[in-house]
Amino acid sequence: MTSLPTPDPGAKKLGLVIDLDTCVGCHACAVNCKEWNTGGHAAPLPDYDPYGKEPDGVWFNRIHSYEAGCGEASRTVNFPRSCLHCENPQCVTVCPTGASYKRVEDGIVLVDMDKCIGCKLCSWACPYGAREFDELAGVMKKCTLCIDRIYNETLPAEEREPACVATCPSRARHFGDFNDPESKVSKLVAQRGGVELMPELGYKPVNRYLPPRQAQIQTAPRERAAEGGNKLLRLLDKVLSR
Amino acid sequence: MKPAASVLLLTTLTGFGYGLLAWLALFALLGLLPASRWFMPVGVVVALGFAASGLIASMLHLGRPERAWRAFSQWRSSWLSREGVASLASFPPALGFAALWWGMGPAPVTVIVGLVAGALGLVTVYCTAMIYASLKPIRQWNNKHTAPNYMLLALFSGAMLMALLLACWTGQAGLAGLLVLLAGLLAAAAKLAYWRFIDTQKPLATLASATGLTRYGEVRPLDAPHFTENYVLREMGYQIARKHAARLRRITIATAFLLPSLLALLAGLGLVPALLIILATLLTAMGLFIERWLFFAEATHVATLYYGR
Ligand code: SF4
Ligand code: SF4
Ligand code: SF4
Repeated sequence: MTSLPTPDPGAKKLGLVIDLDTCVGCHACAVNCKEWNTGGHAAPLPDYDPYGKEPDGVWFNRIHSYEAGCGEASRTVNFPRSCLHCENPQCVTVCPTGASYKRVEDGIVLVDMDKCIGCKLCSWACPYGAREFDELAGVMKKCTLCIDRIYNETLPAEEREPACVATCPSRARHFGDFNDPESKVSKLVAQRGGVELMPELGYKPVNRYLPPRQAQIQTAPRERAAEGGNKLLRLLDKVLSR
Repeated sequence: MKPAASVLLLTTLTGFGYGLLAWLALFALLGLLPASRWFMPVGVVVALGFAASGLIASMLHLGRPERAWRAFSQWRSSWLSREGVASLASFPPALGFAALWWGMGPAPVTVIVGLVAGALGLVTVYCTAMIYASLKPIRQWNNKHTAPNYMLLALFSGAMLMALLLACWTGQAGLAGLLVLLAGLLAAAAKLAYWRFIDTQKPLATLASATGLTRYGEVRPLDAPHFTENYVLREMGYQIARKHAARLRRITIATAFLLPSLLALLAGLGLVPALLIILATLLTAMGLFIERWLFFAEATHVATLYYGR
């Protein structure tokens, strides 16, 4: 059913917190996402022309790099982009078949690939570009929040978290229940001022992004090349600047 | 947005077909149809032929066309589903309209069934328009112009087919010629207003708000996640040069509306009606195809902000 479920105030609201301060842009989460999911719930994630000139394929997680601000205050921000499991997702309501749905018990947005007719409308309705079409199977695919890991009782308890979270070498991704004010994700959002992406579109994304911290270490002005004066220093500068 | 041939065909052909169906019903109500047993049923077959070919074209673009029947299930939330339901629902009354006319002529029951069919056809066109008009991430579609534009274009192209049928059947375009003129001018005005509107619209979001980095002011793309186009860019990253768009808009206004309206006027005045109306119909079909191409090509999707587009 593609009508949104009536929100249950007691239900879990599962999602990710992504720390833009610590993400180093290594793409490990994207690779592990692909690795896990090509054998998981939405398997396979096809590749087209993988060894050719224009490799392309289905990925649920894409890592951009941006430059934010100008001058001294500017910085590079690595930006992982995956489905935000929105609370008001139009990707669900536009679906004509009931294939795209939001789970009432934990808010995860999924595609039932046995029902999907591949009309692509849901991907048009997602402002975040989070859905990617499987051209070979003719159906839509998307991040599953690793539903087959987080509830997977055959995995050791500490591994029951999304593949992207588990693999991040700088612990920039966190998984948890946003409806529990005591959860790690809720606390992180509160402490670090976690933000919604494009709140103006009204999709109420569950995932939050932690903005980069302001630099806290005051650095002394950098040493300047020796000018005038000491000949030895000038010579040294010349040699070292080569 | 990528202008895919299947959706261009779907939206233009159903407009022609359901527009004609609506006019047939209205003409029947007003007693303006030729007193022939065959004219009306032939008209309905033409109308349904156009509508059905549009719907079939759109089904072929599905990833899994064999599951298309599932699309009738979610009419509570999905305009695409409503479109399917409405179009399916329009067929029985339309066929009934034709059969009743053939059997008993313009009796009240014929006219009522015809009006139901015509209304359902227009509802289908409205649902099609709302598929686009309801998509929040695409500002060129998600506005108050989209649905009236679709309705007017359907009524205009339907009037064109009506004039074509009449001119070929009776040798005169008559009232339908005038109708084409009026609807054509109205549709052209609506289209111009739409273009004016989207040209002055503000972007929906900025890269800064899309990345949650508003505190930094400006945000610029540095490294893309991938070097080749992916699905999102192929489907939604289509860009058309302003220069080309401006030229195509002028071509649209001329070929879809102005020239056909002029030809319809001349035909209405009795100048080789059949020939002129055939010419006008071909021009309209071409012009509306370009118009629909532009409707997609000029539409920008907010997700492409992430790629600096
Ligand atoms: S990010 Fe996109 S695909 Fe994910 S729930 Fe939100 S609208 Fe749907
Ligand atoms: S592509 Fe599949 S999941 Fe998406 S709207 Fe169409 S039927 Fe629903
Ligand atoms: S939660 Fe799972 S499916 Fe979603 S981006 Fe992370 S690894 Fe990929």
